[in-house]
Amino acid sequence: MAAPLLFLAPSLVVVFAVLVFPIVFSLVVSGFKWPLSVGAGERAFVGLGNYVDLSRNPEFWNSIKLQLGFIFIAIPIELILGYAAALLLNREFLGARVVRTLLLLPVFFLPIISGMTWRFMLQPRYGPLNALLLTLGAPEITWLSDPTFAYLAVVVQDVWRMWPFMFMLLYAGLTSIPDELIEATVVDGAGFWRRQRSLILPLLTPTILTALLLRIIDALRVFSEVYVMTEGGPGSATLLFSLFANRVAFGYGEVGLASAMAIFLLVLSIVFAATLVRKNMSLDILEEKAGGR
Amino acid sequence: MKKAAVLAILALMTLAVVGAETINVLLWDDPYPKALQQMLPEFEKATGITVNIEMLQPPQVYTKTAVAVGKDSSDYDLVAMDEGNIPIFSSLMTPFSEWPTGKVYPKVDVKSVTPAMLDVGMWEGRLVGLPINGNLYVWMTRKDLIENPQYQKDFKAKYGYALGVPKTYQAMLDMGTFFNDRGIAAGFGPFNGGPAGVLGEAIFMWEGYGTSFIDFKNGKYKVVLDKKKATEGMEFYKKLMKISPKGAETMAHVERQAAFAADPKGVFSMFIWPAQIAAYEDPDKSLVAGKIIYSAPPAGPAKTAAVRGTWALGIPVASKQKQAAAEFAYWWASKDIAERLVEANTVPARTDALTDPRFAASKPWLAAIAESMKYATSRPRLKEIPQIQDVVKKYWIMGITGQMPCASAVDAIVNETNAILAKAGY
Repeated sequence: MAAPLLFLAPSLVVVFAVLVFPIVFSLVVSGFKWPLSVGAGERAFVGLGNYVDLSRNPEFWNSIKLQLGFIFIAIPIELILGYAAALLLNREFLGARVVRTLLLLPVFFLPIISGMTWRFMLQPRYGPLNALLLTLGAPEITWLSDPTFAYLAVVVQDVWRMWPFMFMLLYAGLTSIPDELIEATVVDGAGFWRRQRSLILPLLTPTILTALLLRIIDALRVFSEVYVMTEGGPGSATLLFSLFANRVAFGYGEVGLASAMAIFLLVLSIVFAATLVRKNMSLDILEEKAGGR
Repeated sequence: MKKAAVLAILALMTLAVVGAETINVLLWDDPYPKALQQMLPEFEKATGITVNIEMLQPPQVYTKTAVAVGKDSSDYDLVAMDEGNIPIFSSLMTPFSEWPTGKVYPKVDVKSVTPAMLDVGMWEGRLVGLPINGNLYVWMTRKDLIENPQYQKDFKAKYGYALGVPKTYQAMLDMGTFFNDRGIAAGFGPFNGGPAGVLGEAIFMWEGYGTSFIDFKNGKYKVVLDKKKATEGMEFYKKLMKISPKGAETMAHVERQAAFAADPKGVFSMFIWPAQIAAYEDPDKSLVAGKIIYSAPPAGPAKTAAVRGTWALGIPVASKQKQAAAEFAYWWASKDIAERLVEANTVPARTDALTDPRFAASKPWLAAIAESMKYATSRPRLKEIPQIQDVVKKYWIMGITGQMPCASAVDAIVNETNAILAKAGY
């Protein structure tokens, strides 16, 4: 009995230190008034006080609204673009490999560089986008100074950078579908849309869900690119959840409150993951779907 | 024999490393500390103290200090504190009266610090930081524009008084509008970047219109903003926004510098932190080097206000190298170094360096700084300032860009600031 535990101990210690401890520590800190600097006051246990404060904070709810909007606008667009490109490039032609590789380039951009690049592109007077507008005789737009345009710019930047990620996963999924199956549906007279609906999409479902799950978890943590583009402004127009948490922790010095936000984000991620994984990706359901076909 | 020699060398090296004093210093990143850094080898040679300087953007200096400086331990032996953050860190810093006397450089006489700046280092009756730069609003006006005879003639014909350095808010608006409407230059360069900077602009307007923001009385902070005057100030700034360059809603220092010094049209007038003058007067970086007139800020209907943004050096109570840290601070604040920093187009806090007649002709901003110091105005200083300046920034920007009426923006600032103060127990 002791021997297996002894062998497992090193792994358990690592898992506890790397995964469990930081979460437990955040949970503990979230129960305290915990100033960033000890010079700003004493630490004090407040129980669920930080969570209550958050629930009463309109900026907190605004950041959640913006974050969810970001996820539900950007990710579907990325999915559609990625899927369309995967279908289009799932064939061989001269230079196909080069095209597929080039399409992936934005994914390799550091988020902070992507944010800076977009910030410069959208600058009034000097930005290429406004230069183009002026050349066309259209009025200049101060993209990042207008709340609506700034939010859209943040979304567009994310779509630009991350749709190739969707393409990469979906293309890999498409190539794994046996050609015989597709040829059989063609022989049976199924058109393009019917093939998508009845064969390709069902077979790609696990890949799509995996891609969605990864992107949602990633999008919930989006920070650096938005920070360098807008710092959450103008006003609070792009103050996404992680930016607000950063401001609470390092701007206001309220680490306890920020930890409560971190725990909230963790729970939100788990809810998303559980919904996607448990309801759509369990082996039973996949087998059931396969049987149904 | 060989082995013994190697061991002896290793032992000597270890002794040298252990014996050498090394201090870690955290500074803000701008031309002033960078100019100092060039002179650092002299200090290290004279004292044998090795100085590790870490320079960060001002918000990161606050964060790093908050995380790395505690009551019992400190990663730094000397930290720069922005004046607004001194209330937060004061309890962690050694009072200046307890700083050790210097072995190589004499302890700084606080009387050498410009009085308008000395106040920055004070908290609860004690000097907790040594003010190290002379940073407060100074006004820049384009000399080439106001000295153009045609512009002088046209302006006089339209407004009935002479074109020149704007002495009042109204003159600033008139002259700015004149240049902006003719497409000669943008009329004004606002600052809408970080929360601390936006609060500075708000204080500049509110004080100019005759109202303070937060007062400290009987141990309590209280919002004392006169809503009518504050709204008038905000409305006036809104007019200035209309004669500002495109993208003024989010202009921070980088964009202001680009608009004023790198754009061929440029900007007629705006404030500058003296710490940044070096960049505007560098002919390699600036199209307007040598073409700027420096003055005190224009006066509002009620008074002139020159918002202060000075840094002070603090030695953490937990520092184990207080002697070496103090030595470095004394060297930095010495007359010799201050004069050389003036020569490098930066602005120390020593009165004798700022008023040295040798620099009067070649450094025209020094006289303007001295004049501005008569009107030095501080932003509110309290621990809750990060939250408060965020509130001000949010509603100030909404008000001056027309996203909400100025009166409502002022109401929101007052209400939300009161809520923050109430939560803090005031």
